Amino acid sequence: MHDRTLDIPQLSDEVRVPAPPGSWRLAWRWPVAEPRWASVLVERRSVIANLLLTVVLLLSSLMYLAVGSVVLGPLELLAVLRGEGDMVAAFMVHELRLPRLTAAWLTGAAFAVAGCLMQTLARNRLATPGIIGIDNGATAFAVASVVGISVSLAPPAMALMGAATAAAITFGLAVGGGTRGYRFIVAGIGVGAVFGAITQLLLARVGIDTANAAYPWTIGTLNARPANAMVVLAVGLAIGLLLAMWLSRSLSLMRFSDAVAQGLGIVIQRRRWQVLTVSVLLTGLAVAVAGPVGMVGLIGPEIARSLSSRRGVPIIGSALAGALVMVLSDLVGRVLLAPIELPVGIVTAVVGGPWLLWILLRPASRNLV
Amino acid sequence: MRIALMRIAECLPAWRWRRPQGVARPFIVLSLLVLLAGLASVLLGAGEVGPGRAIAVLLGGGDAEARFVVGSLRLPRTLIGIAVGVALGVSGALLQAMTRNPLAEPGLLGVSAGSAFAVALALLLGASAATLRVSAAQLGALVGCLCVLSVVRMRGVGSDPIRLVLAGAAFSALLASFTSLLLLFDQRAADEIRFWVIGSLSGRRIDDLIAVLPSLLVAGVIVLAIARPLAALALGERVASGLGHRPARVRLLVILAVSLLVGAATAIAGPIAFVGLVVPFAARALAGPDIRRALWLCVPLGPLMVVSADVLSRLLVAPSEMPLGVLTAICGAPVLVAVVRARRMPTL
Repeated sequence: MHDRTLDIPQLSDEVRVPAPPGSWRLAWRWPVAEPRWASVLVERRSVIANLLLTVVLLLSSLMYLAVGSVVLGPLELLAVLRGEGDMVAAFMVHELRLPRLTAAWLTGAAFAVAGCLMQTLARNRLATPGIIGIDNGATAFAVASVVGISVSLAPPAMALMGAATAAAITFGLAVGGGTRGYRFIVAGIGVGAVFGAITQLLLARVGIDTANAAYPWTIGTLNARPANAMVVLAVGLAIGLLLAMWLSRSLSLMRFSDAVAQGLGIVIQRRRWQVLTVSVLLTGLAVAVAGPVGMVGLIGPEIARSLSSRRGVPIIGSALAGALVMVLSDLVGRVLLAPIELPVGIVTAVVGGPWLLWILLRPASRNLV
Repeated sequence: MRIALMRIAECLPAWRWRRPQGVARPFIVLSLLVLLAGLASVLLGAGEVGPGRAIAVLLGGGDAEARFVVGSLRLPRTLIGIAVGVALGVSGALLQAMTRNPLAEPGLLGVSAGSAFAVALALLLGASAATLRVSAAQLGALVGCLCVLSVVRMRGVGSDPIRLVLAGAAFSALLASFTSLLLLFDQRAADEIRFWVIGSLSGRRIDDLIAVLPSLLVAGVIVLAIARPLAALALGERVASGLGHRPARVRLLVILAVSLLVGAATAIAGPIAFVGLVVPFAARALAGPDIRRALWLCVPLGPLMVVSADVLSRLLVAPSEMPLGVLTAICGAPVLVAVVRARRMPTL
């Protein structure tokens, strides 16, 4: 039994396999009758990056809670968060800003993880759900349910259906050319244009008041967040994150050619479906809360990738970075032109648009993920 | 001024009064179709006045309401639709020939978005006169065109049609978000512009058309002057220089014409996407690769698409109307997908 050199029992205290450079090995003993050792390797750089992102996210969240039409000092904010302080400030923080902050976290994380999955799947950093029209599909269906196709299904369900429909059409159109390269993305832009037109059509048919109410929602805002959609998104994000982390191992191999991934034992077709499903799920649920906030799915994974190690697919990092982008953008949108509130979608578009152009136009464009 | 005229006169010998061969018959057939569509546009509508009452007006009779609807609402609308169609169709063909890219389209590449942004800016700064709006739109279109040109000249991007379109889409989205930003500042401008931004022909007056007619005429003269050099340019820059044309000057004139045309069309009707993609696509399918023939066919094809889309937009959701831009997007996006899906991307 003990002829194999790297058998688990040998990883005891005495004989330790050293961790490869740039990573830590976390080893622990299972507390069962017959002690077994288990260990995982974590990339040092990714851990540091995620910790950094977490710290920055927490700091900016505190700032988000403190700044607004009424600015709270740090001590005041702490008092309010501990349940003390005066009534007005407590109401403002707990009833107004905290739910909105939660929405920003959830939608940002969902958009960014969906973007990261889709980019890795298509091996193209431009292939985010927002660019290939999935956002628009979800918006069209959700608007349809809001402005009253007589059977009013819940917006999250309709947004999911819309996202799935748009994804099915885009990928169906791309069957001939594969999911690589730019053709697939331009097909997605076409699909997105059609769904955008359908949204406009729906808004043109209803009265001016309904259209006005729906207008900010079509560019993406955290202002009108349906409560039930938030709950659904929270549950969906928890499931989606776990699934995405489970998929990330196969995904990091699928970044190579199909042949390599297949040779390493990945059932490509099935994995592709799973990744696509998770991505569409996250996008649809997030759109149901905040509308199509563009570019978070592009910027979030980009930040995460530049910070973490190149080896894995940075799912956690993307979620953190997406939430950070969303929080900061909404903060800027609330504060910059107060008392006018900029929808968060406009802020992200203004920030992300030049970035997208730069990715496309810089001379040595390295477009594959 | 005299020097400019002499410059144009220099170009003239290169362009002879010779009709391109083989487009007369499709041109006439398409023009008849445009007449039919225009007739339908005058006769049909979303409101109370039906075809019977409209025919009575056309025959010289009719009641006061029908006369008002036909004479003051539908007729200007039809004429404006024809002008917008010609402008967008021709400018699409010009852009495609200049960038040698079958996907180049004023709406997709951000030219329309540039002029929409300029108009929003002008409204915000307090402009409301029709002529000022036109010149603002044309300036914005010019800036958009210059951006397109500089991107095309950039190494590596110009040769890849799809990448250019992606960059254009990103540019358009950026400008669109700037436009919404401007509209948030000013409620008055937002009210004035909300329906204009989607792109529609409803409620436009004949004065708007008269205000843009001079620039349309100037653009027409430029197009006639550069059709032949442009056809040479399609063979490549060196061939064009060898044939005695000056590519840089031709390109500048194309940009001037496109921004005049797109600016005028956008000033009247708002940004209408995909007309400049579909019309040259159909024209090339009918006329073959020669840009001169395709340009001639774009003249009736553009109005045909715009006017019939406008009629449909009135009838589909009667008694309300849907914006014209919606209908052209629904027609045009499948064409975009089809072009992209073609196994071998046709390069111009």
